[in-house]
Amino acid sequence: MITGSDGQSRAAGSPKKPLISIKNVGLSYGNFQALTDVSVDFYQGELVGLVGDNGAGKTTLIRIISGIIPPTSGEVYFDGERIIKFHPKKAIDLGLECIQQAIGLCDNLSVGRNYFLGREPVRRILGLPFLDKKKIREASAKVVHDFGLRDSVDVDDEIALLSGGEKQTFKIARAVTFRNRVIIMDEPTNHLSVRERTRVNELAVQLKQQGLLVIYITHDIFQIHRIADRIVILENGRKVTDVPRDAMSAEALEGIIRDGSRTSTKEPKVS
Amino acid sequence: MRAAIAHLVRRHPEGGTVTLVVLISLTFAIVTGGSWLSTGNLQSLSQLTAVLAIMAFGEAIVIATGQIDISVGSVSGIGALTFLGLAPVVGSGFGLVAALLFGVLIGGINGVFVAFLGIPSLLVTLGTLFLFQGIGYAVTSGFSFAASNVVRKQFIYNGFGGGTVAGVNTGVIWALTILVVLQLAVFEMPVGNRLLAIGGDAASSFSRGVNVTRIKFGVFVVSGVLAALSGALDAAFIGYADGSFGAGMELSAIAAAVLGGCHLAGGRISLIGTLLGAFILRGIQSFLIILGVQPQWYILVVGLIVVLAGLADRTLTRLVLKR
Repeated sequence: MITGSDGQSRAAGSPKKPLISIKNVGLSYGNFQALTDVSVDFYQGELVGLVGDNGAGKTTLIRIISGIIPPTSGEVYFDGERIIKFHPKKAIDLGLECIQQAIGLCDNLSVGRNYFLGREPVRRILGLPFLDKKKIREASAKVVHDFGLRDSVDVDDEIALLSGGEKQTFKIARAVTFRNRVIIMDEPTNHLSVRERTRVNELAVQLKQQGLLVIYITHDIFQIHRIADRIVILENGRKVTDVPRDAMSAEALEGIIRDGSRTSTKEPKVS
Repeated sequence: MRAAIAHLVRRHPEGGTVTLVVLISLTFAIVTGGSWLSTGNLQSLSQLTAVLAIMAFGEAIVIATGQIDISVGSVSGIGALTFLGLAPVVGSGFGLVAALLFGVLIGGINGVFVAFLGIPSLLVTLGTLFLFQGIGYAVTSGFSFAASNVVRKQFIYNGFGGGTVAGVNTGVIWALTILVVLQLAVFEMPVGNRLLAIGGDAASSFSRGVNVTRIKFGVFVVSGVLAALSGALDAAFIGYADGSFGAGMELSAIAAAVLGGCHLAGGRISLIGTLLGAFILRGIQSFLIILGVQPQWYILVVGLIVVLAGLADRTLTRLVLKR
């Protein structure tokens, strides 16, 4: 394993305790070992690139962090508190937002309803919770406008009417505008145009500068090397590298991924 | 022009059904020389529509989450038998409560198997359909329960399908009340937003923190209790019930929902459309009766309508989702 010069790598000048701490986490689906003994710390105000080939275990790791699946062994700590019950609601309540490739939006719901899904604003009438449609409309319209989606997007329209890039931008916008502490981006620039991609990367850096922890998952080492503070490489479900960006060149890191992928196996789909 | 139509259909999925209601009402009225629109027929039609609609509302809620409940026919039978069987013994109030509790129980069984154990709803509810139909036949074993004169005078009995208010069967009032309540819950409350979200994309809903299991369980309980209520209301109207009560009603309930603009894939439903769908089916039934056509043909007509509605549904969905 290659680590930073201080043995325990971290963002420059932050001798604080980790916001998320993964200790010896393993996950197996039957006989298949998706993650093996992975330990990694993530700090506030840090942009970490989580890199690896297909099937390396990146998505599995963030699924654990965002509460979608519990690990089969090991411990996860958030802000010093050990997580016992894994559920997406818990992660969201802790201020952790995950932008995933394939999921996150319900095509049949309007833009506004998707924006607030799971935390709908309500007005109480006779003690009963009714959707605050005015607030839903106004807040989501502001986001649509601020993040430069088409002016023709009506927040009452079903989200299925947005393009792939618009949907991705919308998911990021949603993650950003709710007050969060951690933003996880799973291959956020897939299906995006060059200009949209630059914009997403700028956004990731801005979030970090605002003091958030940003975990950025990608297999494009050159892209992430430009913006990340630290690079963590997974391979066959194990952590193989964890270095500050300045410690290694993108080419050297790419070499690690390339050499490792010869022995990698495909990760099964999780349903 | 097409964009305008697409917009209209998107916002008002029951639009097609409304048009259909107007068209068949006019046609039936003209063909029967006005007798289809007579007060007597409309009174009977509204009662028939109400009991089917209540069952179909529950079906629509289940369909909203992308599931199906085909046990509703049997559940309504159990509701009817419990109500009429217990009313002479414990009074119609307790009889009704017991009927509704059976609805909760059967719905709960369906819900546990579907939501917690992950078994396909078609399979689970097919099982409970047969199971409780069998129990219905076994309990009555050739006999039927009839409401005694004492029971027929009871307030609850009259308030739940046995009597009328200003010429309107009390079942109709219940159907409209339930429509309002469900309409608010599904389209105006957070729980409805999550319900529709699950039907649209369960994995995405889960990732947003929605409790998918609990909501899936809940819709089957709602469907169960509404089916039992529907059976009790109809039994009170007719005054007797036997083991075959409610048999085949599940098909009409599903047909009413589909006809009303509920997408079987989940995520898009219309409750007003479902009410209209029930009205259309019952309207056709009464039309066939007035014409003197054998009632068996009704089944054939329902089948045809479902296929045609499915076809129209596909066309409309394509139109709606075109950018």
